[in-house]
Amino acid sequence: MHASMEGRGPSMEAPEGAAFQFLGVTKSFFGVPVLREVSLSLRPGSVLGLVGENGAGKSTLMNVMGGVLRPDGGRMLLGGTPYQPQEPGDARAAGIGFIHQELNLFTNLSVAENMFIESFPTLRRTPAIDKRRMAERTREHLAQIGLDISPGALVETLSPGERQLVEIAKVLAMQPRIFIFDEPTTSLTAKETGLLFEVIRRLRTRRASIIYISHILGHVAELADEVAVLRNGELVATGPTAEYPVPRMISCMVGRDLKSIFPPKASAPQEEVLLRVEKLSQPGIVRDVDLTVHKGEIVGLFGLMGSGRTELARMIFGVDRYERGTVRVGNGLLPRGDPRAAIERGMAFVTENRREEGLLMNVSIADNIGLVALPEFARAVTGHLRRRRLQEATAQKAQELHIKATSYEAQPAKSLSGGNQQKVVLAKWLLAAPRILLVDEPTRGIDVGAKYDVYTIIGELARRGSGVLYISSELEELLAVADRILVMNRGELVGQFERSEFAEERVMRAAFRQGDEVRP
Amino acid sequence: MKVMGSRASRGILRNTTFVLFVLVFVVFGMLARNFLTLGNLQVILSNSSYIGIITVGMTFVLLVGGIDLSVGSIMYLSAVATSLVVNDLELSPWLGVVACLGVGLAFGALNAFAVTRLGIVPFIATLVTMIAGRGLGLLVTQSVQLDFPDSITLLATVRLGGVQLNILIYALVVAAAALFLAYTSWGRRLYAVGNDPEAARKAGLKVPRLIGSTYVLSGVCAALGGFVSIAQIGRVPAGFGRNNEFDAIAAAVLGGVSLFGGVGTVFPGALLGTVMIRVIQAGLVARNIDIYIQPIIMGAIIFFAVLLDALRNLQLKKLGRRNIMKMET
Amino acid sequence: MNTESRPREPAAGGGARDPGPAADGPAGPGPSARRPHARLRRLGRHLLLSEYFVLYLSILYMLALGPFLPQLFAAQNLADMVSNIWPLLVVAIGQNFVLITAGIDLSQTSNMALTSVIGAVLIVTSCDPVLFSKCPLWGTFLTEHGGPLAGMALGVPIAILIMLVIGSLIGWVNGVAVARFKMPAFMVTLTTMMFFSAVAIYLPKSENIQNLPHAFNVLGKGRIGPVPIPLLVGAGVAVGAHLLLSRTLFGRRLYAVGTNPVASTISGIPTARIITRAYVLAGFCAALASVLYSARLEMGRPTLARTQFIDIVGANVIAGVSLSGGKGKITWTLFGVIFFVLLANTLNLLDLPFYSIDIVKGLVIFGAAFLDVLRTRAAAQGH
Repeated sequence: MHASMEGRGPSMEAPEGAAFQFLGVTKSFFGVPVLREVSLSLRPGSVLGLVGENGAGKSTLMNVMGGVLRPDGGRMLLGGTPYQPQEPGDARAAGIGFIHQELNLFTNLSVAENMFIESFPTLRRTPAIDKRRMAERTREHLAQIGLDISPGALVETLSPGERQLVEIAKVLAMQPRIFIFDEPTTSLTAKETGLLFEVIRRLRTRRASIIYISHILGHVAELADEVAVLRNGELVATGPTAEYPVPRMISCMVGRDLKSIFPPKASAPQEEVLLRVEKLSQPGIVRDVDLTVHKGEIVGLFGLMGSGRTELARMIFGVDRYERGTVRVGNGLLPRGDPRAAIERGMAFVTENRREEGLLMNVSIADNIGLVALPEFARAVTGHLRRRRLQEATAQKAQELHIKATSYEAQPAKSLSGGNQQKVVLAKWLLAAPRILLVDEPTRGIDVGAKYDVYTIIGELARRGSGVLYISSELEELLAVADRILVMNRGELVGQFERSEFAEERVMRAAFRQGDEVRP
Repeated sequence: MKVMGSRASRGILRNTTFVLFVLVFVVFGMLARNFLTLGNLQVILSNSSYIGIITVGMTFVLLVGGIDLSVGSIMYLSAVATSLVVNDLELSPWLGVVACLGVGLAFGALNAFAVTRLGIVPFIATLVTMIAGRGLGLLVTQSVQLDFPDSITLLATVRLGGVQLNILIYALVVAAAALFLAYTSWGRRLYAVGNDPEAARKAGLKVPRLIGSTYVLSGVCAALGGFVSIAQIGRVPAGFGRNNEFDAIAAAVLGGVSLFGGVGTVFPGALLGTVMIRVIQAGLVARNIDIYIQPIIMGAIIFFAVLLDALRNLQLKKLGRRNIMKMET
Repeated sequence: MNTESRPREPAAGGGARDPGPAADGPAGPGPSARRPHARLRRLGRHLLLSEYFVLYLSILYMLALGPFLPQLFAAQNLADMVSNIWPLLVVAIGQNFVLITAGIDLSQTSNMALTSVIGAVLIVTSCDPVLFSKCPLWGTFLTEHGGPLAGMALGVPIAILIMLVIGSLIGWVNGVAVARFKMPAFMVTLTTMMFFSAVAIYLPKSENIQNLPHAFNVLGKGRIGPVPIPLLVGAGVAVGAHLLLSRTLFGRRLYAVGTNPVASTISGIPTARIITRAYVLAGFCAALASVLYSARLEMGRPTLARTQFIDIVGANVIAGVSLSGGKGKITWTLFGVIFFVLLANTLNLLDLPFYSIDIVKGLVIFGAAFLDVLRTRAAAQGH
C-alpha cells in the first residue's frame, strides 16, 4: 500500500491560524494500526469533508478528537495550544461539538428536557426547573434549524429525522466553535437534509469550523470547502473540493491496487432459482421488493445507510416480520418470522453486527462454530451429542477458513481479532452447508487480509453452487465480487445492473436517485 | 392515519393504570353495596398510607431500573431503633423519629454503596440487606414483640383539619416526591438514567450518584412508612414489615411504574396503584371472601398487572421499531 | 504487500492455559508480578477465581472449626449433614437451569409446598374431621377414610407422578410468561410464588396432612441395601442433569441462550422453547424435592420450604452460577449445596439462633456476589 499523497493542500503546511490540528496522530487496536501518523488541519470558517471507506479510520480520528479515545502517539492543537482531552466532557468544554451517528436522546423525556439535561435552567434560588425559560430557549434553538415541533413533545413521538435534528440542535445550543457531523443525514428526509445544510452554511459564515463525515459523496462535494481522504488509517489526500470531484474522491478512497484486494472471480450463475422474493412489504421500511438469487450467483445489494437493505435481509431470513409478500426457497414458501424454518431450508445469515448477533463472545470458538449445525450431531431421541464428531467437524471448518487461534476448544471468541471473529461466524454457517447465504457487511471493520479471505470463502461457496445475497455499502467490493447488483433506495429496489453493465457512477446515481439530491 | 393510530394506541398503553383503576372501582362498587362511601374511602386511604409511603420510595428505585427487596427489613430495623430510643433510653418520641429515619437512611446508603460502588446487582444486594437486616433486628430484640408507649400511638389519633395525621404525611410525601420528579433536575435525570443509562453516562450525568440516591430515599421512605404503621398499631412483632417489599413493588407496578425503568409516576401512578390494592382488599373483606382465598385473588391480579406491563413494553417496542425508518407518505 | 492476515496473539491469556474462569485472567507480567509477594498473590488469586473455590472453602472451614466443634465429626452429625444435602441439591439443580438462562425462579418454594399438599391429599390414609371438615376438599377429595388414592395398589407412585406433573406445569406457566410474553422472570415467579403459596395454604386450611402410607414415607429415610433412597434420587438427578447440560443438544443450546439470546435466535435455536423447558425442569425438580421432604417429614405441609429460597439461590450463587446467565455447572451447585448445608449445620451446633444464621448466610451470599463481580472484572481486564 504505497499510495501517493495526492495534492497535499496548502493547509497542511500552513497551520497559521488553524482552528484545529492533528499532528502525526496514531492509534492501534489490538496491535492493528487504525490511524497512521495522521496530520490534518482545520481552518476557521470552513467545512472539511472527511471521506473514506468503512474502517478507514474516520470514526477513530473523530473519537480521538472528541475525547472518546486517546491517541497512542502524536499531538493535537486547538487554536494553536496543546489539546489533550481525557473524556468527552473535556472536548465539550473546549468548544468541540460532536454530533454522533447514533442518537443519545432519552425517549421518555421531552425535547426541551433533552436539550438541557446537562444543566437545566432553574428558578432563582430554588431547585425547580424554569420550564418556561427552558421552553423558550428550546424554541429558539429549534427555530435555528427550522424545526417546528413543540418543546414539550416527548422524543418518542418524533420521527427519526426530527430526532436527529433535535440532537443537532442540542449540540448547537452549546455554541461550540468546532463541529463534527458524523453521518448526520442517514435518517433525514430530503427536506430535512436541506435544512441541515443551510444551518451548516450559516455556521461557516460565523467563522465556525466544521468536519463533515459522510458516505454520500455528493453531499460532501456540495458542502465542503476542502476534502480529506482516509484509507486504512492513512491520510491519502487533502485539497480544495474543486480539485476533488466525486470520481477522484472514490479513486483515492479505494486506492489503485484493486487486484490485490479482491480475489479473482471464481463463480458463475446458473439457471436454477434458489431464492425468490416477491412483493415484500412492511410499512415504513420496505416496499414491494422483488428479487431472485440463482444457483452459483452472488447478488450484490447496494444501498446507503437507512435504505432498508439490512431490514430486507432480516425479513427474508425471518428475524423481523413483514406485512405482505412472499419468500420462496426453491419451490417452497417460507413461513414468516421463523429463522429456524429458513435454516432448515438451507438458508444462512451473517448479520452486520457480529458482536451482538453473530457470536457468543464468552464461548469457545469450537462451540460457536458448532452452534447452527448442532442438531446434525445429536442422536434422535435423547439429544445426546456425538462430541468427537462435532469436535472434528468444527476443527476442520476452522482450519479450512484459516482461523488463527491457539486452541479452538478453549479460546473464547472474544479473544480473536475482528477478521477471525467474522470467519468464526462464517464457519458456523458453512458447517450447516447452506444453499442460500445472506451476508450483511461481512467485511466491516476487518483488515485487508481478512477481507481477502472472506471474499475467497464466499466466492468458493458460490462456485460450489450456493446462492449468495451480498449486502454492502462499499460499492467497490460489490463490483468485484457480485454477478449482479441491485440498488436499494428508501425501501425500494430502484436499479439492477448485470456484471457487464457494472460502472460505479451509474450504480451510485441509482442509489442517490434524483429525489435525494438537495437543491439549494 | 397510521401515525395517528399508533399515537392513540400508545396513549392507551401509557394509561393502563387509569383504565384498571376505574375498572376496579366499578367492579367493587357493584359487588359490594355501600362500599364506596366517603367514610370508607378515608379508611382505605388511611390504611394505604404506610405501604403507600414505602411504594413512593420503591417507585424511585424502579424508575432507574433497580429493585429494593430490603424495605421490609429496613422497616423492622428502624422500628427497633425507635424502640431503643423511646422504650429503653426513654427519650422523647421526636428523637425516636430521628433514630427511625436515621437507620432507614443508613441502610439505604448501604444498598446504594453495594449497588453503585461494588457493582453488585440490585436484586442480590438488597436481598442480602433483607435477610441479614432482619437477622440483625431479631438479634437485638431476641424476636420479642416490641410495644410502644402512648407518646407514639397518640400521634395516630392527631387530626389536622379533620384529616388523620398519617393521611397528611402520606399526602405530603406523595406531593413532595411528585414535585421533585417533575420539576427538578434530579427528578428528570432519574428518568433519563432509567431510559438509557449508557446515554446518560455519555451526556455527563453522574449516573452512580443518581442511582444511589434512589436507594437512600427508598430506605428513608421505608423507615417513615414503618413509623406511621407503628403509630397506628402500637406494637412491632418479629415479622413486622415482612413481605411488604412485595406489596410495594406490586403497588408500583399496578400503578404503571415499569420494571424496565424510566416509566412511571408517583402521582397519580404509584398512589393509584397503592389505593387500588387496598380497594381490592377492602372489597374482598366487604364481600366476606374467605381469607384463605384473598391472597390467591391478589396474586392473580398482580400477575395480570405484570402481564399488562410486559405487553405494553412489547407493543411500545414494536411501535418504536416501525418508526425507525420513515417514508415520505 | 502486507495483506496476509497476521496471526494475532489473543489479547487475553485464555487459550493455552487450562479452561475455566481462571483462564480469563490477564496473561504475562501484570502489575502484580512486580510486587514482592507476587507468587503468593497469584496463588490466592488462582484459588479465588478457581471453580473449585467453594469446595476448598468448605474443606478449610470444616478443618478450621473441627477443634472447636468436636461434634461436627460425630457419625450421627455427618449422616444428618449428608442426608440434608440431597433434597436441597435436587431443587437447587432445578434452579441452576433457570439461572443459566439469566432468569430466576422464586416460585420453587411454593411449588414444593403445593405439590406436598396435593400429594398428601391423594394418598393420606385417614383424616381427623375436627381439623379438616372446614377445608374445601372435605367431602369430595378428603374424607375420614383419607384421600382418593388411599389404599390403592399403585396409589403412591400415581400420586408422585401427579406431584411431578403439577410441579412441571407450574414451571411451564412461569416459562411461558417469561419466554413468550417477555415478562421479567423476577416478577413472574414472585407472583406465582404468592399465588401458589396461597393455594397450598388454602387447600388444607393451613393444616399439616399426616398419616401418609408407609410406602411413601420410606422414600424419606429408607435404604436400598446400604444406600439411602434420597441419596439415590439426588445422585441420579445430579448425574442426569450433568449429562443433560454437558452432553446434549439441549444443554448446549441452554448455555447459548443464556449467553446471547439474540445470536441464538438468529442461529436457529428455538429460544422461547429452551427457556420454557428450563422453567419446566425447575418445577419438576422442585416437585421431586418436595417428594423427598414430605416423605421425610411424613406429612403434606402447606408451608413447606417457605424460607428456603435463600438456600436454593444462595447455594448456586456462591458456587459461581452467574445471575446474568450463561454460566453454571452441576458440580458447582453440588459444592454450593455442600457449603450451605455445612454452614447451617455448624451454626446449629454452635447453638446460634436462627436469626444469626440468617445474618451469616446473608453475608456469605454478599461475599459471593462481590467475588463474582471481581471475577467478571478480572476477566474483562484481560482484554
